[in-house]
Amino acid sequence: MVLIALAVIVLPLLTRDSYYLDVATTILMNLTLTMSFRLQVSTGQINMAHISFMGIGAYTSALLVTRLGFSFWATLWIGAVTAALLAVPIGSVALRVSGPYYFLITFAFSEVVRLFFNNFFENLFGGPSGLVGIPKPGRLLGMTFNGKLALYWLMAVICAVVVVALVRLDYSRFGLTAGAIRQADLVVETLGVNVFRFKLTTFVVGSFVAGVAGVFFAHYRQVLHSSDFGLEPMVLLVVFTVIGGTGSVWGPVVGTILMTVASELLRELHHYEILVFGAVLILTMLFAPEGLVALPGGARRLLRKLRGRAAEPAGAGVAP
Amino acid sequence: MSIELLVQALLNGFGLAMVYVLVALGLTLIFSILEIINFAHGEFYMLGGYVTYYVYALFGLNYFATLALAILTVGLAGVIAERLIFHDLRGKALNAFIVSLGLLWVMQAGAQLAFGVLDKPVPSAFSGIVRFFGLIISVERLVVSISAIVLIVALYLFLQLSRPGRAMRAVAQDPDAAALQGVNIDAVSALGFGVGCALAGGAGGLLAPVFAVSPAMGALPVVKAFIIIIVGGMGSLPGAVLGGLLLGGLEGLGTLFMGSAAVNMLGFVMVIVVLLLRPRGLVGGA
Amino acid sequence: MLLELRAVSRRFGGLLAVSDLSMTVVSGSIHGLIGPNGAGKSTVFNLITGVLPVTSGEVRFKNERISGLRSSEICRRGIARTFQATALFREYTVLQNVLVGAHLLAAPGLAPTLFWSGTYRDRERQARERGRALLESLGLGAVGSQVAGQLPHRDQKALALAMALATGAELVILDEPLAGLTDQEKGETIAVLRRLREQGLTVLLVEHDMKAVMGVCDTVTVLDHGVRIAEGTPREIQANPAVIEAYLGAEEPGA
Repeated sequence: MVLIALAVIVLPLLTRDSYYLDVATTILMNLTLTMSFRLQVSTGQINMAHISFMGIGAYTSALLVTRLGFSFWATLWIGAVTAALLAVPIGSVALRVSGPYYFLITFAFSEVVRLFFNNFFENLFGGPSGLVGIPKPGRLLGMTFNGKLALYWLMAVICAVVVVALVRLDYSRFGLTAGAIRQADLVVETLGVNVFRFKLTTFVVGSFVAGVAGVFFAHYRQVLHSSDFGLEPMVLLVVFTVIGGTGSVWGPVVGTILMTVASELLRELHHYEILVFGAVLILTMLFAPEGLVALPGGARRLLRKLRGRAAEPAGAGVAP
Repeated sequence: MSIELLVQALLNGFGLAMVYVLVALGLTLIFSILEIINFAHGEFYMLGGYVTYYVYALFGLNYFATLALAILTVGLAGVIAERLIFHDLRGKALNAFIVSLGLLWVMQAGAQLAFGVLDKPVPSAFSGIVRFFGLIISVERLVVSISAIVLIVALYLFLQLSRPGRAMRAVAQDPDAAALQGVNIDAVSALGFGVGCALAGGAGGLLAPVFAVSPAMGALPVVKAFIIIIVGGMGSLPGAVLGGLLLGGLEGLGTLFMGSAAVNMLGFVMVIVVLLLRPRGLVGGA
Repeated sequence: MLLELRAVSRRFGGLLAVSDLSMTVVSGSIHGLIGPNGAGKSTVFNLITGVLPVTSGEVRFKNERISGLRSSEICRRGIARTFQATALFREYTVLQNVLVGAHLLAAPGLAPTLFWSGTYRDRERQARERGRALLESLGLGAVGSQVAGQLPHRDQKALALAMALATGAELVILDEPLAGLTDQEKGETIAVLRRLREQGLTVLLVEHDMKAVMGVCDTVTVLDHGVRIAEGTPREIQANPAVIEAYLGAEEPGA
């Protein structure tokens, strides 16, 4: 964690190249999303509507700023709170079902939201051609957040707050209960935890964070399309989270960094990018279902077995 | 509003519903045997479309012979996918679901690379319209619907009467008990996955002349199939037929009152309402 | 009385699994629920703990109606249970298992957790200490940091009991606490149950080992096909012709 924090701070000193800053900002934005997604995965829920709450935050902020002249610094909260408020009824409905029904019903919700942004109130949401002309965040406390570097720092601060909070939660009794629900939810319920309310809490908190990421996304990209919050980015979100491993809170960190960089490297070859991602996803699930984070431990165990005795911890630490 | 208008709207809605039921039946069959939700199911449908394009539109083989070929080819592809990928994920719903997302991408990107991104038109095998009692139906849609119904009946007979079909139903009901009775679970899984994909391939072949063939063509039918099986109840074959009729009817009537975007949302709204009232679907069981 | 079932029934489709069952569990007693396989014993447990809803009738605990409440709420009011197929969080350590949902070991709120305040650290330390003490008292002191899924059967059974006790329940409901144990291990578990009774806890258990049931229980209720056919002290039950009838061909009620 210290290493990553250091990298985040050092990077802008090494380069002011706007391309690298852009990639770094994207990583931080994706990380905010995957961490909040993983909060729900830790209780065993694959919420296929997670990206929709990012969209709700994004559109809420974009409209308030462009139509009603709100300040970005106000809509950052308003957008996130709107996403969280809408998550209460949607989560209450979706969490009444479980297992495969849950990811199908959340998928249905995400399609309803996407079709809504795409087809209704075209003068507001911009319809298929998108909502354009969203301004950059602007001034706060005498600083102007318009350049790539300033926006990078802003996203870094947001991401740091989110990561620290979610890591703290994961290592606390809250995280313990979440993992217990994933393993045996009936037992948790009979031990006195209202599993429904607990899952709803993770759903709403996750949606709030997704809303924050959405607001930043809107004012960073300055343009919104309904497809930004459709199935493909949602599947990417699943890939980022799962490849690192959902068993550990560090899984999404590793997965997001690796995959965002890979995605940049393969950007020129769009079809191949998707092909490679799909293949990596399949191979990971088949051969390392615990995710990449679990690989060093697995490799160590394998090495130890090969040597036939309890060897020294193998090699230098690969994990962060 | 006249009765004819209403009935015509319903007919339009049912027109392609039976084909989506085929896709849904494949999904639900795979789900009941392997407890896997195959998000890549639409890609097997797409494969059926491409077989039809190359064999029927380019090579000029007879339409129904092409259809049979599409069913066999895609069924074989399904068996291969089960052996290579899904076999070890039996019952691990979450992992299998994520793997199927990966397969969706691989197959879609593979199709883009192999066949190109552009739509490929497939000429209609049948033209003209039929009129009766003031209603209008295109011959093509009539043939498509009837073919789909024939395939549905064939599946039903296969599951009820044939030995492998009965083995599939036994595994769907209780894999452990089936294994104790000497059913070869491995073979049934592979065959079940293959049959499920074959149905999607057949549907792709049927709809190839109606829509064009493209790498992304699987998205729409698979989404409709999801709606159908959730509404009908996952794992239930009669439920899938019922779900298909409901969805077709609802969408057909919807076009009388709202724009196409709103009609597309109707199905999802129906899913949400049904899951709220009956969390396991209308014919909920498995 | 602590727990009271009033004319409770449960129907599965056409099958009446529990029929018009009334029984009371007296505070501070060990109460046995026995009957041949399929008599509906586990269903009764599920009805009491809210895992299944009752079809008709009501369950009362400390003179309040609890049927219709969520399982978690029923647990908070003082009833905890174990499951027949010992249910644990297999990936967690023994201590972590006890910490899940342990209200005796009150969890700090959200804010202290996020800010890692002094309150948070104090509470967590206390929780761990109490959890360890509980494990110690059940003979699990040495295995606190082992992964639950790899424990021997005896320890898994003891851990399930520890988890139920950690909720601070006044009534613990045990589904076959002795199943699969050796005679010596059974003796140890029975001693633990007696000690819990001395501490004022009430125990309701389903068990097939008749010798143990007759030896440890204060009161025994006998179910057959969802119907109560007898209730009384072990001595009365053993002499009851209806009970002997129900068990003929199955296992004899122990001597």
